[in-house]
Order: sequence, then structure tokens, then C-alpha cells
Amino acid sequence: MTNTSLLVKGLGRQFGNVLALDNFALEVPKGELISLLGPSGCGKTTALRIIAGLEKSDAGEVHLNQKNITNVPAHLRNMGMVFQAYSLFPHLNVAENVAFGLKMRKVSKSDRTKRVNEILELVGLDHHHKRFAHQLSGGQQQRVALARALVIEPEVLLLDEPLSALDAQVRTNLREEIRRLQIELGTTTLFVTHDQEEAMAISDRVGVMNQGRLEQIDTPDTLYNKPANDFVASFVGTMNHLPAQLDNGMVELFGKKFPTQKSGNESGKVNALIRPESIQTTFNESSANAVVLTRSFLGANSRLICRTDDGTIVHSLMNNEASHSLHPGERVKLEILSREIMVTNV
Amino acid sequence: MKKILENASKKLPSTIILSVTAFFIFLPLIGATEFSLRDGGPDKHSFQSYKWIFEQSGFKENLGITFQVTSLAVILNLLIMVPTVTWLHISGLKYRRLVEVVTILPLIIPVVALATGAQTALPSFLHNTVLELSFMYVVIAMPYSYRALDIGLSGKPLNTYVAAARNLGASWYKVLVSVITPSIWPSVLAALFLTVALSLGEFTLAQLLHWTTFPTWVANVSQENILGATALSVGSLFFAWLLLFSFTFFGTNKIDRSKDEE
Repeated sequence: MTNTSLLVKGLGRQFGNVLALDNFALEVPKGELISLLGPSGCGKTTALRIIAGLEKSDAGEVHLNQKNITNVPAHLRNMGMVFQAYSLFPHLNVAENVAFGLKMRKVSKSDRTKRVNEILELVGLDHHHKRFAHQLSGGQQQRVALARALVIEPEVLLLDEPLSALDAQVRTNLREEIRRLQIELGTTTLFVTHDQEEAMAISDRVGVMNQGRLEQIDTPDTLYNKPANDFVASFVGTMNHLPAQLDNGMVELFGKKFPTQKSGNESGKVNALIRPESIQTTFNESSANAVVLTRSFLGANSRLICRTDDGTIVHSLMNNEASHSLHPGERVKLEILSREIMVTNV
Repeated sequence: MKKILENASKKLPSTIILSVTAFFIFLPLIGATEFSLRDGGPDKHSFQSYKWIFEQSGFKENLGITFQVTSLAVILNLLIMVPTVTWLHISGLKYRRLVEVVTILPLIIPVVALATGAQTALPSFLHNTVLELSFMYVVIAMPYSYRALDIGLSGKPLNTYVAAARNLGASWYKVLVSVITPSIWPSVLAALFLTVALSLGEFTLAQLLHWTTFPTWVANVSQENILGATALSVGSLFFAWLLLFSFTFFGTNKIDRSKDEE
């Protein structure tokens, strides 16, 4: 318990008729990077703004290092935040922007200069002190914003989709850099994003949110392989939903029986959830059960979209070598490689 | 050759419009300046009329009062308007229409009504103090200063600036003074200049509230000497221009100082 840096209990927030947060709870241990992932409007930014003190909650509490800070105003919370929109003050240059938080804390000028220099070097902008926001690229501006948030040595670093306005390549580089800095400085971090790849790539744990609720919070691995429910399964990665008949806890798919997470006495109609990489597509005229619709080249792999003979659309991910002879229109055999299959009730 | 002609024909209408406008603006000015410099007749010129201004009794005193009123009006105006307009942009969006209507009222309500209102509504301890007139100048400058600040704040990601500043440890006071005001500096200067210009030239309210300010004094003394009166108008105009240029210079200087380092 003493290891907990940030503790959020029962947060609720309503905007008109829309429930933005519904009994939202979260515990972030010291030094961990947790992502909040969810579709737009799921309440992740609202949660972050309430934690930062920039927004009031209707219910619930926020604790920082075992202290209830629910009613502490934003400027006394000592949290660093980076926003989605470029937020550098236009009348201040890079060094002055970074020094702003230190100035508010009445840090002496010599100490300020020293710390600004250190942090700008850390984010790789040590030759840009005198530049203004309009002279920097988007990626550089967000680096400065990151430096500005980190220089005050915040208890918690809050990142509100800081990469979503950037180009794909800059985005990938910067997210790696955020992770590197976060580990190096050991800053407890809460990262809000709608990009699952981003969340999975840099987080210790990822919380998937939907309609103001936290659906599941787990390591990226668990989240991908053992999703708690249908929403998480579909939101994280691509997932096939194959209609099947549950018979005493077993399902039959493409002529083979598989055990499921359900107990032995359950039966009925279910959806079998299967990842594309767990479906093998082979060229096999005699025992074909599907036809290839499209094949998209993805670099190391190819994605095949097939239609089974009973009309179900199935996504399959194959390496290029195994799939290079499979063209649209070709009859193929689909096989499932998983040992246990997760099913959800229809 | 064809291209040059084409270019010239494209530029011709704008050149004509510009020349005509310049003619209408500058000819009376040049005429007035020439007239104010006459000494006894159209052939001899000197600064005699300008010297005459300074020799009139009450020049310094009334200019002093006007400066006091103006400075107070400017300070009060900015103290009231910058936080108000900022608040309207951050969280008072639904009140913007209302405020827009309220700020236009001083232009609609006759000055006589304003003056009477001022005398009945202002608390008695303010009567006959410089603050009485300053408050009224804040009111009549409001339509202009509100719009100047409103333009400055529109299109700025104000909520992000505020959130960032608050998050970095700035109190609301610091947010206003260290972030909002400097980031809309040209607009603040515009509001300031408009208030200055208005206070320096305001006649009716001052007269109705029985104040002798610089403009009412000018109206009085100029009745005796037409050349002196013209010299006064020309002098005031150049003073106002000087102010305008210096504000513009300070304003752009502060925002564009980044350009020096490129």
C-alpha cells in the first residue's frame, strides 16, 4: 500500500445527460507507467483532468502519496501534464517555457538555469533554448512541453494524448523516448491515448475504458491474450467473432472440437473469439472450407480476409512466405491453432 | 513588356483608391498645419501660435488633470476588462452575447443620461474626485476595449494555456499576469490606446460633470484665437499619433523579439 503513488476511488462525472465517468477507480504504484485506452468520449481525458485538478468530479476521491487531494487546487498538486494541443506559451522562448514551473515555485535563478539546461539536454533540445514555439516542429514542441512538465519533478506525470497531433514516425520515436525518460527518472506516469499500439508499446499496464468505466486493467500481454470481456477483446487488436454452438463447455469450429473457459455443463449459442494470427490459412483444394476475398501486404505479414462456406468473414494473419500463393478467389482451408478458445454469450 | 502592362493595369485601381483616400485624409491636415503656422498673414510662417498655447493660463493644470484621469481610466479599464473577457472566453461562453450587448450600451445611451446617471449612481465619496470622471471614461471606453481584447483572445487555445499554467503551479492571478496578458499583448495595447485616445479628447462628459479638463479648456481658450485653436488641434493630433506609433512599436517589439534571433 505504501508503494501506491496515485489512488483514485469511485470517480463520477456527468455532463448533462452524458455519464463521462462512472465509479472510476485506479491505483498507480510508484514509478509505473499506466495507459488509459479507450474510444473517444470514453472519459479517459476527463479522468486525467480530474486527477490534475483541472476539472471537478461529482463523486469520488483522489489520493496522492496517501494524502487526500480531492479539494486541492490544480496549481498546488505538483503534477506535470502534457496536452494534446500544443501548449507552449507563445510569448516565452523554450528555456523560459521550461523554467515557468520553477519560477512559480520560486526556485533561484541559477538553480533554474541549471535544471532547465539538464532537462533540455535530456529531451535532446539543448541547442534550442532561445527558440519560440512557432519556430519549432510539432515533435519539438511536444518535447519542450514534456521537459516543462518534468523539470518540476512532479509526483505524477499526466500525458493527455501528447502524440496524436504528430506524424507517424515522429510519434513512434517520441513514444519510445517518453518511455526511456520515464524509466530513467522513475516518474509515476498516467498516459491517455486512443491508440492501442501506443498504449501496448510503452505501458507497464493498460486500462481499457468504455463509457466512463474501467473495463479491464492489466499488462499488455494479459490484455491481448486474456481479455476480460467482448469489448476489450474487440478494442485491443483485431478479433474474429465466429458464431458457434457451445456443447458441454466445448465448441466445434471448422470440424474440430476445442475446450473453452466455460464449465462443462454450459451449452447454447456463443461467439468464439479468435485472433487472426491463430487462424492458419492453407491452400487445400480437397478439404477447402473458405474462399479468399482480399490479401493485404503488411510488411512481414499479410492479412487475409476470407469468407467461410457458411458466410462468416474471417481475418487471418500469415507470414508472407506462407501466404504468397494465396490470391483472391482461391479456395482455402482454415484451421484454428489455439488450444483453448474464449467464448462470449451471444 | 506585356506582363509589365498587365501588372500595371492590375495595380491601377488600388493605386487610384489609395491616392484619393490619402488626398482626403492628408490635404485638410496639411492645410490645417500650414494655417496654424501663419504669422500675421499667408506669407509669413512661425511657431507663434504654438507658443501662444503654452502661454495661456491653465494649460499645465488642465493637462495634468487629464493625465491623471486618463491614467486612472486606463488602469481601471485593464483591471476590469482583461479578467472579464478572459473569463468569458474560458468558462462564461453563454454570457458572451449578453456582455456584447452591455458593452455596446455606452454608445447608444446619450452622454447626458450617462452624466446624470453617474451623479446619482456613484457613491457620494467619489463625487468631485478624479475617480468620478475615470469611472465614466472606463464606461465609455468599454465598447472599444472589450472588442480589442475579444479579438486578441479569439482563436487562441486559451483553455490549454490556462490548464498548462495552472498545472505548472500558477495561481489564477499568475495565469492572468504571466500568461494571458503577455500572450495578447498587442490587444492589451490596443485597448490601452483606445482608452487613452478617448480620455484625451473627451469633452461632453467632463463639461456636464463640471470638470475642467484639457479638452474643455481647449474649447474655452480657442474661442479667442482661431490660429491658436488650429495649432492646438494639430498639436493634439500629432501627440495622439506619436502615442499610437509608440504603442505599436512596443507591441510588435515584444511579440517579434524572436525574429531578431533567427
